[in-house]
Amino acid sequence: MDRIECQWCKAHNEPGRTSCMTCGAPLDVKYRVSDSGWAEAPRLRDMTEFRFSNSTCQIEGEIVPVAELALGQGDAVFFEHQVMLWKEPNVPISLMNTGGGMKRLLGGMPFIVHFAQGPGRIALSRDVAGEVVVLPLHPSMEIDVREHAFLAATHSVTYSFVRIKGLANVLHGGSGMYMDRFVTQQWPGLLLLHGYGNVFQKTLQPGEKILVEPGGFLYKDSSVTMNAVKLNVKTGLMSAMYVAEMTGPGRVGIQSMYVHHGSEPETSGASVTSRRRGGWAVSGLGAVADIFLDE
Amino acid sequence: MPSEGADRACPHCGAPVNVTLRVSDSGWIEQPPIRDMARIRFSRSTCQISGAYVPVAEMMLHDDDWVYFSHHALLHTDPTVRLANLPMKGGWNRMMAGMPLIMMRAEGPGHIAFSADKPGETLAVPLAPGWGVDVVEHRFLVATGNVGYTWQQANVWFTTQSGDEQETHYPLGMYMDRFGVTDGNGLLLLHAHGNTFIRDLRADQRILVQPSALVWKDQAVSMFLHFEYAGNASWLRSYDAKTTWLALQGPGRVAIKSVFERPEPVGPVYRASPNTRAAW
Repeated sequence: MDRIECQWCKAHNEPGRTSCMTCGAPLDVKYRVSDSGWAEAPRLRDMTEFRFSNSTCQIEGEIVPVAELALGQGDAVFFEHQVMLWKEPNVPISLMNTGGGMKRLLGGMPFIVHFAQGPGRIALSRDVAGEVVVLPLHPSMEIDVREHAFLAATHSVTYSFVRIKGLANVLHGGSGMYMDRFVTQQWPGLLLLHGYGNVFQKTLQPGEKILVEPGGFLYKDSSVTMNAVKLNVKTGLMSAMYVAEMTGPGRVGIQSMYVHHGSEPETSGASVTSRRRGGWAVSGLGAVADIFLDE
Repeated sequence: MPSEGADRACPHCGAPVNVTLRVSDSGWIEQPPIRDMARIRFSRSTCQISGAYVPVAEMMLHDDDWVYFSHHALLHTDPTVRLANLPMKGGWNRMMAGMPLIMMRAEGPGHIAFSADKPGETLAVPLAPGWGVDVVEHRFLVATGNVGYTWQQANVWFTTQSGDEQETHYPLGMYMDRFGVTDGNGLLLLHAHGNTFIRDLRADQRILVQPSALVWKDQAVSMFLHFEYAGNASWLRSYDAKTTWLALQGPGRVAIKSVFERPEPVGPVYRASPNTRAAW
């Protein structure tokens, strides 16, 4: 019998399997793609299990999913410290030296990254309704992820952070000043992300462009360039509107929900303060600064 | 690739056509969620709803079609779609009231997508000529160009007093959006947090709902405040035990959502918009 190819990660699976053994994606449902080419990230079924190295990962729950990792001897993962839900007492935890502490602090990136080593179990989750996105990484891959979106990565993955090039990006890009960068060398790795709401992915051809609300950006191949583009739309007397222009080749992942760091909470009650979403309602100061500082 | 939802959805509102409407014993109709990848047709364009937690409304706009939306709803767009400000009168009042200040228009051809920022449902409200609805602020996602848009004072408020300080509360916000069409059919897309339920009120039939649960109502439905004081409470505690309801009175359709702001004790009411009171 033919092996089943996973439409999400392209791994080959044994006949009869209902979920991919590499990424957990359901194999017995249609791959859903919108008319414009955005593919839904596979909705991982409750209790789906998949393998990496000598370990397994089980996804539990569907509203705010939990990734429960059963780490084998010699395996390890790293993650932001605030995503740890529970762990077995015998699983050692250490601090990962990420370097660039002051820059990270200024960039609002996670300052404390923990490292958990097998054998033993540890469970991780975020705090907002959404989806766990499983990205198996082949050797020599580079993925950029918006800050505070990564759930865990295996120890074979090198972690660093990159400054978004271009001051216009820094000022107006809703994804912040820095992005997490995950790189694999000669070994494959596994990256788990948590997207707010639903997650969609599109593969851009070389030179193909798409405009994305900066706050909706979740991840991209490092081959995809990202720049803030000013639209001919005014959002106030001295305000401008910006979107992220993504240019292929490579994959782009977006999330359908996000909360901008600077936004007011929505209310329909006693307070009538308006909600503002995304990184594109730019203050007058930002717009002026753009004139002088844009690269 | 053809999607599963494509063939089983109403082309006007996206609702699944092969399910039985679920109605609670009291008469609330559960709004059937639009299935993943279902398509809605309007004019010469289509709208495809994707996702389940925070659905995305992705439109394929024909050259002749345009839509308008509050700027914070935009998720992604093809570079071919022409974006521009939609001129609005009364901008200062809107800003003071906390309503969306920037309304934009998008003109085809090309794809453009919208989403909200809370888990819930996308509601498609097809509007026939002469029909209009009032929508609570922040629920609006996008509307077709032929849908008229105004706003009006909700006229649902009350003032509390503590010492020398007075505070005015607007349980629905100061204003409500009003949408309607005079010519042709229009499409209005809203987003409601949680699940949505609909009820058709008969003439003079009255129902009490949490004010922040209201999503939209027919223009014919009237509304006012209703203060209810719990029994067996001391004079001092009676204010804390007060429930502030929104009374909706038919005839007409109302829609509420299951996620609402938990009310907090606000002290004695000093003045209020038209209201009724009951003490147990």
